[in-house]
Amino acid sequence: MRFLPHTETDRRAMLETMGLATLRDLFADVPAEFQMDAGSLELADALSEAGIVRKFTRASQKNRNASNSAYFLGGGTYHHFVPAVVDYVISRGEFLTAYTPYQPEISQGTLQALFEFQTMIARLTGMDVSNASMYEAATATAEAALMARRVTRKSRVVMAGSVNPRYRSVTANYLSRLEGEYVEVGMGQSGTNFGTDLEKVIDAIDAATACVIVQYPDFYGSVYDLAPLRAACDAAKCLMVVAFSDISAFALIESPGAMGADIAVGSGQSLGIPMGFGGPHLGLFTCKQKYLRQMPGRVCGMTSDVNGKRGFVLTLSTREQHIRREKATSNICSNQGLMCTAAATYMTLMGDAGLARVAMHSAAALQSLLSQLPAHVSAANGAHYNETVLSFTDNSARERFLAAARAQDIFAGIPLEQIDPQAASNHLLVATTEMVEASDITDFLAALEVAK
Amino acid sequence: MINPDYKYSATNGIQHEEPLLFEHAHEAPESISLPGVDGPLSDALLAFARKTPANIPGLSEPETVRHFVRLSQWNHGIETGFYPLGSCTMKYNPRVNEQVVRLPGLAHIHPDQPEDTAQGALELLYETQQWLGEISGLPYVTLQPAAGAHGELVGLMMIKVYHDARGESNRRKVLVPDSAHGTNPASAALCGMQTVELKSGTDGRIDLDELKAHLDENTAALMMTNPNTAGAFESDIKEICQLVHDAGGMVYGDGANLNALVGVARPGDMGIDCLHINVHKTFSTPHGGGGPGAGPVAVNEALAPYLPVPRIVNNGDSYALVHSDENSIGPVLGSAGQTGVLLRANAYISAFGRQHLHQIAEDAVLNANYVLHRLKDRYHVPFEGLCKHECLLTDELQHSHGVKTLDIAKRLIDLGFHPMTVYFPLIVHGAMLIEPTETESRETLDAFCDAMLEIADQCEAGDTGILHEAPVKPFRRRLDETQAARNPILTWKEQ
Repeated sequence: MRFLPHTETDRRAMLETMGLATLRDLFADVPAEFQMDAGSLELADALSEAGIVRKFTRASQKNRNASNSAYFLGGGTYHHFVPAVVDYVISRGEFLTAYTPYQPEISQGTLQALFEFQTMIARLTGMDVSNASMYEAATATAEAALMARRVTRKSRVVMAGSVNPRYRSVTANYLSRLEGEYVEVGMGQSGTNFGTDLEKVIDAIDAATACVIVQYPDFYGSVYDLAPLRAACDAAKCLMVVAFSDISAFALIESPGAMGADIAVGSGQSLGIPMGFGGPHLGLFTCKQKYLRQMPGRVCGMTSDVNGKRGFVLTLSTREQHIRREKATSNICSNQGLMCTAAATYMTLMGDAGLARVAMHSAAALQSLLSQLPAHVSAANGAHYNETVLSFTDNSARERFLAAARAQDIFAGIPLEQIDPQAASNHLLVATTEMVEASDITDFLAALEVAK
Repeated sequence: MINPDYKYSATNGIQHEEPLLFEHAHEAPESISLPGVDGPLSDALLAFARKTPANIPGLSEPETVRHFVRLSQWNHGIETGFYPLGSCTMKYNPRVNEQVVRLPGLAHIHPDQPEDTAQGALELLYETQQWLGEISGLPYVTLQPAAGAHGELVGLMMIKVYHDARGESNRRKVLVPDSAHGTNPASAALCGMQTVELKSGTDGRIDLDELKAHLDENTAALMMTNPNTAGAFESDIKEICQLVHDAGGMVYGDGANLNALVGVARPGDMGIDCLHINVHKTFSTPHGGGGPGAGPVAVNEALAPYLPVPRIVNNGDSYALVHSDENSIGPVLGSAGQTGVLLRANAYISAFGRQHLHQIAEDAVLNANYVLHRLKDRYHVPFEGLCKHECLLTDELQHSHGVKTLDIAKRLIDLGFHPMTVYFPLIVHGAMLIEPTETESRETLDAFCDAMLEIADQCEAGDTGILHEAPVKPFRRRLDETQAARNPILTWKEQ
């Protein structure tokens, strides 16, 4: 077996030094009734390396992918450009095959990359500090709610209905295992007016509220002013948690930090990480400095070695499960380490200027599409970054359009009810990135003709 | 035979200092060519324009590559050398797995694109799900959990809902041996359950009397790791499961140590009801400096109704995602799972197949026992007998010479090895937990054992200065963790 270095001679020799005859003698402490004969599991036959490549290539060819399509899918996962350098860096064995950097002397590469990542994420989100990642955005949102409960010692969580339904349902699921009230407000958007009903959200805040969670830009792509919410949170002494799906927005529009967020969480998938059919992506977690010691997850800090040279270590570990066990701030152990390195590499390649261009192209593509929409399709009002909801006269019109688009290799959007089961079936969630070309928009608009 | 001069691989080599990228300050050039549409933005959006740039420095492509390649060279990885971290299963990560997950038809697909355009991905995920069910002996599997700890939470959620559905909402007590991973009690707390710690017996295993004393009508579950974190198989497993079941509880298996059993014995057959599987351990998906991992959970029929949604199902000639089910605990992740990680696990299982899977556990256990055999006379072995995939030593014999586990660990770095897991499990003083995995050669194991014996020799000879100073070879020496925690500097601030 090609991954196993031992020959049969090696095995026999090693067993002999221990005075054993067979490999199964090493399992004498496992009751015989539980031991299986080799080969008795119902699995496929072993494949050669070439066989594995063939198997996966065949499977991959059953999928249609974004690299040769016009692509307008979003809803939390975006088809941004991934430079070759990013994949090269995270393919380096020293990054790829290292463990969590608990031995800092021989892990400075991972640690410095994490420190750079934390710095750039804090700057892009406008927040004081970032941790070294969470799994992805939905669980990061749930962890933000839990952290707000610890910080405020209150238990009620208010969630805006315009937060990505998957972030909402995962957060609701986590919170349902604990005491405390959880409310979702501002639901039931009517007609084409998708967005955040901030008044309703503010009305739901009371003295028992630990935090309010909103998404910015919201699930429908709407960009709006959070100042009234900030004032309401101050008045009620609760935390303002801002979730986001496509961090590329903050190279163009005001950051969650500038909007007054106490905690900002979301997805970093847009930073050089392919869509990958749902993962691995990158959960981001940032907060104000004063709440640092209640933050979940690993963090990397700067220090010095015995010679006074600058170095980095994982720090504040007394918050974590391996030290605090049931009193830890979270149960999280493995996070998305390698994806932090990917994001750090991506941001370094881009810089402010590159990130701004990604954001402007993403927004310009949507604006171009919206400015040419025919009368039989309507779009939500207000400011949008790179995502919005298009509404068709009825489900049949939408389906005719989707079929026409597909025939031309256009992935035109996600039926809204697929992510938000409460939505009517005539809406389409449409997202744009810098990968959208002018001809894609022309083709999209041409396909809309059938939806009349 | 290796020339002794080359036996220990660490050298000083060419060591580059590399500043923070923020210190590479210069006017950023056009660093990347981007596609995209140029055009006007709406006034409504521009009203929200960011007022001050984020201050992300930006380097040219050659500078970026050199920066990160230099950083990478400060890391030790499995590809660099031996990495015997106990309970972490640092095995070789096959390169072909990296190749196949990067196929455009697997990398550039959206989790919400129409299912008929993603059948290949769903087919591979479904197959992975079925295989993990077969390997664990627990046929119903969710791929959703993103890591082992996440799997623990999901498993406990199911167990909690199971008891609730039977009208036994009083069952909130989770028994956790004192040798357990810290994630076990942390996950129980996150699930709104109370943990009770079980004292291990003198052999490091679960003490049946201690277990019996704590089982009652409020017991929701026992969380156990088998083999346990001392590397010992819980030989009373059948009786343990029986006792817990008789008391109305469920047995949760922490699958962190599945590498000891894969293909040889199945947790489900032993009475475990629910098991998470760390595919980044047993099934060789890369640890990546701390993730991403994946922690699929396999359960028996009693818990199957409560599995999270979305679920991946096979409808005869096609595959689909089922997004709702009235009994389900609901979604625990924003997607159906960390696909890229799970596909690597599929590739690993594919390589071994039905014929060879057992060889993983057999060679892993062989290697651990070989190391134990070579070291047992010179290092204190707290629990006698065979070990499974990892062996536990302590610093008791070295302590009288003033040398601690930490010193031994740091000295190994100078000798070219990543240290073993230190000070875990907590049930012995100065723990050194060594897990060699099946992908290490006898030559590597011998070199490591020789290094350990050399350290023991130095202790006995009173030649301990080098041990306290270690590591001296890496470009950074022991780092001040107290200073880092006392005055946390987590972001770079320009002067």
